[in-house]
Amino acid sequence: MAEVKIACVIQRPPYKSETSTLGFTHSISFQVVEMLLEDGQNVIPTVCMVGEGVLNLLTNQKAMENYGVTSIESHGKNSLLCDLDILVCREDLVRFGIPEGRLLDAEDMGADKKLQIVPYSEIQKVMESSAHLLFF
Amino acid sequence: MADLKSQTPAQVLDVLGRVCPYPLVLTKKALEKLPSGAVLKILCDAPASAEDSLPRFAQDKGYPFESVKLADSWEIFIQKP
Repeated sequence: MAEVKIACVIQRPPYKSETSTLGFTHSISFQVVEMLLEDGQNVIPTVCMVGEGVLNLLTNQKAMENYGVTSIESHGKNSLLCDLDILVCREDLVRFGIPEGRLLDAEDMGADKKLQIVPYSEIQKVMESSAHLLFF
Repeated sequence: MADLKSQTPAQVLDVLGRVCPYPLVLTKKALEKLPSGAVLKILCDAPASAEDSLPRFAQDKGYPFESVKLADSWEIFIQKP
């Protein structure tokens, strides 16, 4: 079965739009999209969090309290639960002063995957090796 | 066809309260981690997943599939060949 790599680059901050949420939900859905394809291609998505997109991964988001919507934090945790690879740009975390301990994980949900904090050069390699890039 | 319901499942996947695409994605991931021949039991209350995407996924893959409709949910059995 042929594999098609897709990189979903989330660069918008959380809330005030659906953009970053759609990045997560599309990435999750891509993992089973082969059942809708007739050519048997298997889609391998990777989520790349860059720029203000890294803010989506903060813990203790008070989305319901502040905006009356469900938390993007839960989408991030569900993405890890669904075994998505989520690469986080280390330089952008430093730029925003976010320590790694402030980032979400889904260990409490039984997820095997963890966020992968990497230099931007690693994210660039993933983007260059992907057949398709989607920006959210 | 083997009676999957009567077999002891290797894993019970509870996706009650979850809607599409989570039941299907989590089912696919669970099956990937099970050994050949194992039966996965899925507890699901999302009609679109229980009646459409999960049976279609099993059919496409050629996986034996059984579904039991309960009052407000389904018990679904899929065997990894």
